[in-house]
Amino acid sequence: MSYRVDGFENAISFDDGVSLLMNGTSNTTTPRLLDAITPEDDEQAVVITTNTGAETIVNELERRGAVREQIGIIDCTNTDSEIEGVPVRNLKSPGDLTGISLEFAKLFHDKHSDDPIRARIGFASVSTALMYTELRTIFRFLHVFTARIRSGNMFGVFSLDPTMHDEKAHNTIRAVFDCEAKVNESEVKVTGTGFQQQGVL
Amino acid sequence: MADRDDQPTVLVVEDEHALVELYVRWLENDYTVLTAGGGEEALEQFDERIDVVLLDRLMPGMSGDEVLEKLRKQVSNCKVAMVTAVEPDFDVISMGFDDYLTKPVEREELLETIQRLLSRTQFDDIEQELYALSSKQAALRSSKPIEELEENEEFRELQRRIEELRTRLNATLPDMDDDEFVAMVRDIEGDTDGTDTDVSGGSK
Repeated sequence: MSYRVDGFENAISFDDGVSLLMNGTSNTTTPRLLDAITPEDDEQAVVITTNTGAETIVNELERRGAVREQIGIIDCTNTDSEIEGVPVRNLKSPGDLTGISLEFAKLFHDKHSDDPIRARIGFASVSTALMYTELRTIFRFLHVFTARIRSGNMFGVFSLDPTMHDEKAHNTIRAVFDCEAKVNESEVKVTGTGFQQQGVL
Repeated sequence: MADRDDQPTVLVVEDEHALVELYVRWLENDYTVLTAGGGEEALEQFDERIDVVLLDRLMPGMSGDEVLEKLRKQVSNCKVAMVTAVEPDFDVISMGFDDYLTKPVEREELLETIQRLLSRTQFDDIEQELYALSSKQAALRSSKPIEELEENEEFRELQRRIEELRTRLNATLPDMDDDEFVAMVRDIEGDTDGTDTDVSGGSK
């Protein structure tokens, strides 16, 4: 099985368990990240947000065709948001990585499904988390997180703004991911492994 | 018990003598096993050689929780499986141990838990090497154009090595569950806190 995506230049679907890093300014990556994680009928979406309020995320996902039952949010923007019909977990800081992992586990625990859950996970953005923690810590966290996404056959999309970090930090983070996308106003181009291209079956 | 270097070391902390004997019998073929009848004795025994601690939560004298707290203050990447009477929830997992077993503990379950904890240590080790190599790769990438680097045999070797480590890392915990995920992230943050407050580091 795989996760279909729309609106990418060269990728039409991502393999189960794959994690993608989206590089670009947050203005351009956030909408594209939401495109990529909008769930199909039998799927769930969990968004970990450090820069956009939970309400905006829910509205944007609904606009893209998702229904509230499919959405779960971990809001690290330090605002107490409550949205009817959507589990929203509020955290004080994007640097609370244990909190993120706990809430992530609880969101799936609460869904309590016997069938394996098909889920798309969005993390927007790694850049904000990196302002609150060391590069070494984030690197380890991302490895463990992407390993969890792999073991659960989920699809992970993480955004990062390269202009906010030195080149070495950015290049180090890139090493965690199966594939990455360069995002600008007009296109999203994916390189790496774990995705299918148009016309290649 | 003979300390064989090629075997991981497990410390069993349990006040019921019959259980200690049982666990030792189950474990001694695959591991070097040390035992302690209580908290104080466990802390005396504890050192860098120990890979996994099997810790009874309810003991007379020092409780498992207290032992755990003291163990965590010592710098070590050893993993702790708590043996409890009731099944804890996620919040308990975030209290500081790496996994738990509920009594009565069965043989298969015990062996599997210890194996998983050792895989986690292995994951940490591979990840650490991957970080070192990725940093090196990142520094090179920032210093020279990629076309030039790809001509360089040393850089290509570095890339191959990183790919190999990635493959191994991906294969180390293929069925990681949520408890494991939370415990591993907590360990990462625990290590970070440790470097801020504890100067006895340098063992990593």
